[in-house]
Amino acid sequence: MTPERSQLESVLRSLKDPALRYADARFTATHQQNVKVRNGEVDHLSSTVDRAVGVRVLVGNGWGFAASSDTSAESLERTARRALEVAAASNLAATAKVTLSDVEPHVASWASRYQIDPWSVPLEKKIEHLLQATEPMRGDPRIHQVAGEISCYRQEKLFVSTAGSSIAQTTTQMGGGIEAVAIDEGEFQRRTYPNPFGGDYQAEGWEFIERLDMPAKALVIRDEALALLSAPKAPAGRFDLIVGSAQLALQVHESCGHPTELDRAMGLEISLAGGSFLQPSMLGTFRYGSPLVNIVADATIDGALGTFAFDDDGVPAQRFHLVERGMFVDYLTGRDTAPAIGRRSNGTVRAESAARIPIIRMTNINLEPGDVPLEQIIADTKRGIFVETNKSWSIDDLRLNFQFGCEVAWEIENGRLGRMLRNPLYTGDTPGFWRSCDAVGDRSSWQVWGLPNCGKGDPMQTMRVAHGAPAARFRNVEMG
Amino acid sequence: MKSESESLQILERALAAAKADEADAALISVDQNISRFANSQLHQNMSEESASLTLRVVLDGAMGVATTTVFDDDEIARTADLARESARHSSRLAGFSGLYSANEPLPDVDSFDDATARLTAAEKARALRTMFDAGAASGVQFAGSYASGVASVACANTHGIRRYGRMTNLDATVIALGADASGYATARERRAARLDIGALGEEATLKATLLPGVHEDLPPGAYDVVLEPAAFGEIFDWMNMIAFTGQSFEDGSSFFVGNLGRRMLGANVTIVDDAIDPDFLPFPFDLEGMPKRRVPLIEGGVVRTPVLDKAWADRLGLEPTANAWALGSSEHGAAFHLALSGGTSTREEMIASTKLGIWVTRFNYVNGLLEPKSALMTGTTRDGTFLIRDGKVTARLPNLRWTQSIVEAFSNVDALSRERRAIGTWYNMFGGTLAPVVRIRGWNITGKQQPAEL
Repeated sequence: MTPERSQLESVLRSLKDPALRYADARFTATHQQNVKVRNGEVDHLSSTVDRAVGVRVLVGNGWGFAASSDTSAESLERTARRALEVAAASNLAATAKVTLSDVEPHVASWASRYQIDPWSVPLEKKIEHLLQATEPMRGDPRIHQVAGEISCYRQEKLFVSTAGSSIAQTTTQMGGGIEAVAIDEGEFQRRTYPNPFGGDYQAEGWEFIERLDMPAKALVIRDEALALLSAPKAPAGRFDLIVGSAQLALQVHESCGHPTELDRAMGLEISLAGGSFLQPSMLGTFRYGSPLVNIVADATIDGALGTFAFDDDGVPAQRFHLVERGMFVDYLTGRDTAPAIGRRSNGTVRAESAARIPIIRMTNINLEPGDVPLEQIIADTKRGIFVETNKSWSIDDLRLNFQFGCEVAWEIENGRLGRMLRNPLYTGDTPGFWRSCDAVGDRSSWQVWGLPNCGKGDPMQTMRVAHGAPAARFRNVEMG
Repeated sequence: MKSESESLQILERALAAAKADEADAALISVDQNISRFANSQLHQNMSEESASLTLRVVLDGAMGVATTTVFDDDEIARTADLARESARHSSRLAGFSGLYSANEPLPDVDSFDDATARLTAAEKARALRTMFDAGAASGVQFAGSYASGVASVACANTHGIRRYGRMTNLDATVIALGADASGYATARERRAARLDIGALGEEATLKATLLPGVHEDLPPGAYDVVLEPAAFGEIFDWMNMIAFTGQSFEDGSSFFVGNLGRRMLGANVTIVDDAIDPDFLPFPFDLEGMPKRRVPLIEGGVVRTPVLDKAWADRLGLEPTANAWALGSSEHGAAFHLALSGGTSTREEMIASTKLGIWVTRFNYVNGLLEPKSALMTGTTRDGTFLIRDGKVTARLPNLRWTQSIVEAFSNVDALSRERRAIGTWYNMFGGTLAPVVRIRGWNITGKQQPAEL
């Protein structure tokens, strides 16, 4: 069922095409468990195990990739032969030279750390925890739905390549969150903790769920959901905007993470997800944001979803600036794209599973903390709006024009938080927005948020990434 | 792709291992080849063979689900253990009357095409190379994908339901990139004879090379829009999530809630889940084994029903609609064959009768979570946005941001084309969206894409 390293190595040795330049073989076993409660009932309980083998070859200037959910030795050999056939087809339409940046061979094993194995916690305990966090929110007739979710994820991966690498990696992750939905006279409001879409996620075990302490936050979000029903609508116009950590994490994702993917900038993803306004000619010379804006890609931090030891090219995980003191300085790259800008891969190529082609993916893309406490940023704001927790997101095909909606906002008048506001929307263009950043929160408001659902590629690959972000202030932002 | 006998043999073993009051199981097997290209270069080319088994058990009125990709007896037994463990910890489903048992005959639809099944990666690569060469002669480069595949779907349950079906799929997306503009064309079909990648390349090239260098701007405001079928792809994906599913109906976020039988949209708007239309993307049953039928969701502007799996139909006291596309899904029904009815007009007639408006090829990155009760959405235009002035297409426009209630928009439809086109969605292997060209009055443009200032 699970191929040995030697089987993967053997199948690479079996590839007999004189024009073969590179090949790798991967195996993944992806385990997931999801528990969801809704209105006092266990609404959804599921377990999934997905196994796959994949073989990728570069023959001449044609890539070929084949995969199978049958992980037997016979299937692995068949899959390798199909990869060669697909590469031969690619060569029929090859019009450009493929160049790979160098990579050293690595033989390694790595696993993310956890204290309490997610699968060692009985289902009863997970359900009980969710019911403790959601039941107290019920009672008010305007609370139409309360729900909670806990998810467990583990992926075991074996990778071997003709570059001489043989790497085993295992990542274990957990996520959890709760929500309250309030409805009254046609108004619909949802408030979540700590984030929507299943909550927050970390490469940890059950200790992360305990640390979230969802039961302690339940009544806060219930009351906010109810208050939003009668809160005034967030105004339209231009305001100084303070964006909370969770929302700013998504802003980083959409307006920095994606446009710094070199494959997008090269047009390789244009048909589905789009391109990027950040073109190679702008490297080192383009002012992306104000001098306070420092954005790093860091696949090495402990406990985050975008953390690993080696990417799916076999390149070691790295930390590097994408934006340094406001200047655009680097892309996320892979071995087949980095040469286009005269650089070596910085190790960001990953696939959802062995059944998919590795492509450039965000790791942990973080806005570095500044030196101002959030409280001081608010106190220094004469008239503005504070927004928190994402509700909607949209950005154009070059990652320039964006619009975000948040679950909740508060007025700021003379340095104090005032009335709660419902349905806030803000919009802008990426460099204009980041150039207007004049205060970046310190480490006290900085938090790493896990996003398990970043979509890219065709077929669509859902990648697990993370973003560290503090709260920050942006001047003269258009709202409504 | 697994044969009928292979599939049913695996399902029989899964049901035997279930050891539950009731059980059902689904086996989906897919062989697909996806050729992606950019800069007129085939840069990603993949072949995948996959199969997965989902087993759902019912114990004392509660459900549990487990999925695996390994089908030996040990793994099936382990999967059944997991499903039973889940069921033991789940709550009884209110009103649940049991798994589907009526075993009605299936509609006679033809979902498999031998020519499509035989299409090879090499044949597709040659067709792409021909298209690349034609694009070079027109001064454009292409990006996109050209996917083909075969799939088998089998399901069975402890009430004697046994279903097996095969389908073929072809899906192509082509973007033509010219010097300062792009164009787009897309289609999804069951039959190779109905999808011509070269013709899609020509269509995209026409859009990319129309009115070269003639650019105008529009300030934010409400404009009449002529939307091509591709523009409805993402709109309907979101409508599915926020308005049509059983879950959105139950949690109150859908505008259907409290409005069944009421006219909410224009009388010329009919939206149907139609998996039996031979000219769309037919398939004869859902994963619970129910026969597919034509299900009006909006009929002449009147709200009829959300789409439901069996458990949620029982729970909500509504007629089952045969829309279970994943056993035990928390969506409790999804519309995977959404068809917007056509009218009597043509795109050219709509443009010719528009005083001031916008011709839109497609939308980008739509989001439907702004205010679900009115289906308020936002997105941008992409790959061909044109100004219509005095009945003529007069200039290219930048990509525009819009923020628009779709409930309101579908109350302001004033023309629909007779001709419709099927387009694909990334998460939906069974069907897609079928839409005509539509003119809508007063679409809210709220911004635009502006080049980054250096």
